[in-house]
Amino acid sequence: MSSTTNSAPAKRRSISYAKWGYFFIAPFVLVFIVCTFIPLVSTFYNSLFENYKEGLTVVGPNFVGFDNFVKLFTPRADGRLEILNYTVNTMTMWIMGAIPQIVFALLLAVIFTSERLKIKGQGFFKTVIYMPNLIMASAFAMLFFQIFSDVGPINQIITANGDKAFLFFNNEWSAKSIIAFINFLMWFGNTTILLMAGIMGIDQSLFEAASIDGANSSQVFFKITLPLLMPILIYVVITALIGGLQMFDVPQIITNGTGNPDQTTKTLVMALNGQINGNTRNFGMAGALSVILFIITGILSFIVFRSTEPKKEGKKK
Amino acid sequence: MKKRIMASLLAAACVLSVASCGGNNAATTTTTAAPAANNDTAAATTTEAAPAANNDATTEAPATEAPATDAAPAADEGDTFNIYAWNEEFKGFFEKYQPGYDAATQTLDGVKVVWTINPSADLVYQTKLDEALMANADAAPADKVDLFLAEADYILKYTDSDFTMDISQLGLSQVDTEYQYTVDAASDSNGKIKGVSFQCCPSGLIYRRSIAKAVLGTDDPDEVQAQLDSWEKYDAVAAKAKEQGYYMHAAYAETYRVFSNNATGPWVSGGTLSIPSVVEDWTNQAKTYYDNGYILDTLPGIWDDGKNAEMFNTGKTMCFFGPAWYFNFCMGNAQDPDNGCYGDWAVIKGPQAHFWGGTWMLAATGTDNPTLVAKVMKAFTEDESVCEQLIKNEGQFTNNKNVNQKFAEDPNYGNAFLGGQNDVAVFAGMTDSIVWQNATIYDQACNEGYQDCIKGYIDGSIDKDTALQNFYSKIREQYPSVTTP
Repeated sequence: MSSTTNSAPAKRRSISYAKWGYFFIAPFVLVFIVCTFIPLVSTFYNSLFENYKEGLTVVGPNFVGFDNFVKLFTPRADGRLEILNYTVNTMTMWIMGAIPQIVFALLLAVIFTSERLKIKGQGFFKTVIYMPNLIMASAFAMLFFQIFSDVGPINQIITANGDKAFLFFNNEWSAKSIIAFINFLMWFGNTTILLMAGIMGIDQSLFEAASIDGANSSQVFFKITLPLLMPILIYVVITALIGGLQMFDVPQIITNGTGNPDQTTKTLVMALNGQINGNTRNFGMAGALSVILFIITGILSFIVFRSTEPKKEGKKK
Repeated sequence: MKKRIMASLLAAACVLSVASCGGNNAATTTTTAAPAANNDTAAATTTEAAPAANNDATTEAPATEAPATDAAPAADEGDTFNIYAWNEEFKGFFEKYQPGYDAATQTLDGVKVVWTINPSADLVYQTKLDEALMANADAAPADKVDLFLAEADYILKYTDSDFTMDISQLGLSQVDTEYQYTVDAASDSNGKIKGVSFQCCPSGLIYRRSIAKAVLGTDDPDEVQAQLDSWEKYDAVAAKAKEQGYYMHAAYAETYRVFSNNATGPWVSGGTLSIPSVVEDWTNQAKTYYDNGYILDTLPGIWDDGKNAEMFNTGKTMCFFGPAWYFNFCMGNAQDPDNGCYGDWAVIKGPQAHFWGGTWMLAATGTDNPTLVAKVMKAFTEDESVCEQLIKNEGQFTNNKNVNQKFAEDPNYGNAFLGGQNDVAVFAGMTDSIVWQNATIYDQACNEGYQDCIKGYIDGSIDKDTALQNFYSKIREQYPSVTTP
């Protein structure tokens, strides 16, 4: 292209602004390649090698093909397939937190944006709702660990009446519920703000028209707010899903990395952390686990995206 | 206006959260900021004589000290002395008792002392240390690791590698006053000695005098020992204690080390993991004790708050197991001025002699301060005045037989925390039965992993096989080359 412009400068009828486009997206592309694309590809690459540290001796890297994946998908002696176990744990705890998170956020968003209610002090409430998100997950986890610990305030109340202490972190469902609750508490504010922005983006005249037509609140919500909010809701669900699959900090801290009781609170990323930290530095196995996590995330995002996509009339062509 | 207040509130919250992130950094690198005047220390040390003359401790030291280690560091040695540790315990001893250490400038013989302290939880300490050791050869002089600490559970990982120096290269050798097991523990598989320990850790049974009186009718250490000198007797007393509303011991893993450190076989041999029979014995005991209600039903770990709360004067637990370092390091609650029970304790050998823990000093290969490394190692093992202060002020049991013997025989010595009992004499009587054997580099992962994974079996929530499978998978995760059943 440069040769043509050089040879025939007179031909310049229209000015191309394309290069400015490239110029402006260049920083993003550069950052994306360096910080996302290269690590992504190298993760795939690393997953094919045996490369770990034992004591102070480094083993590998030796090319082993798909051995790491085979190992991950080999059930242990008592028949438990650990990776499936971790995936189910992660999804269970995510769903336990995400459903109340989205329902609650949607409710709050509708209340706050309602023209009829016109709630005062919105700025204050928005700040308060968002606050938990500013606290570190680890601090939150520590706090809840203390509250529900064997000698914590809740158990002091229980044992004050002479009852036996309830070991919250020794019971699968109480441990999972606490983790899910922390995640819910941390993230519902963020979701509320996003959904409020979405609702406020809906044309007010539609709400007015509906109220003139005599629609009640639930009709307005289900027939107007929800359908028009769908794109934002999908975004919220997918980002929450990706965040949920990467659940790590809260269960890691609350169970001190053990995933107790009986591996029921161990998430995929905790398993990944177990491979990479401390003595092991098992880059091969960690790479393989990351690839699996990547695939799971991709599939689930695709499903969510497809199932919530509005059905178009002209699609049948 | 309202928006502005809100904006500043949010901004403040943001700044706070960022600030707290910074403040909460797990790894605390304590860089002792030496005054500017002391930065050109290498020059200073060569012109000024070593401060040995100003220091009482050094002048009292035995005359047998080799002149090489007593001298100031050679001119070509580094001007930063880097020590890696996982807590402040040794740092406190070092700053108080190390001859030649100047607390005002935080220098040792004019060389700046820099501590890098990382918590041992989640293997943070070893991870950082490993990185530093592997890079030590190429590190800048100021960053070279000179001395680091290691614990009994993983010392073999370092001694049996090229990352630690033979102490003979530092001009040191085994001395008669050291306990043999501390030397064996610091030796590699070829018998080369790679470090020294400043403590000897025979571990005993520490009991609450008032509870012993209630259960056994006496709190006299000899009489209590007579009633608790075997596991059968211990079981019988546990049942008796329960009848009176007391717990025999608190944590389910309280007696773990008593069994595991008397192991007759290693955790891993020939690359295959097998559970030592003594650990099986412990598992059975822990299960029985939980089922019978002899221990806390909340099953706290040995370091947990739930267990430590039993050391307050409201506690209902009779026995704890630990070495000399346990008094100050773990029994803070018992020493609490308001809720503690200072003086209501005593120590005996208990049902079985054993040791627990211990901290060794190892010299990192590539150190640029070999003279100082040797000096510190010598001070904490051979310098009798240092060792005496460790016993007198810190309640330690030192790695110096002469000093320990002196205190053991001293009728005027008594530990006020133990109601005036001479604990040194008790520990000194146990040292002969400690043997360093069956150590592997996998010990830490196995000991900690097993205690953690078996908990579900003890409380009855999962069967034993599942608990063991969880343990095996933990070991496979940490040591991919180990074969598990």
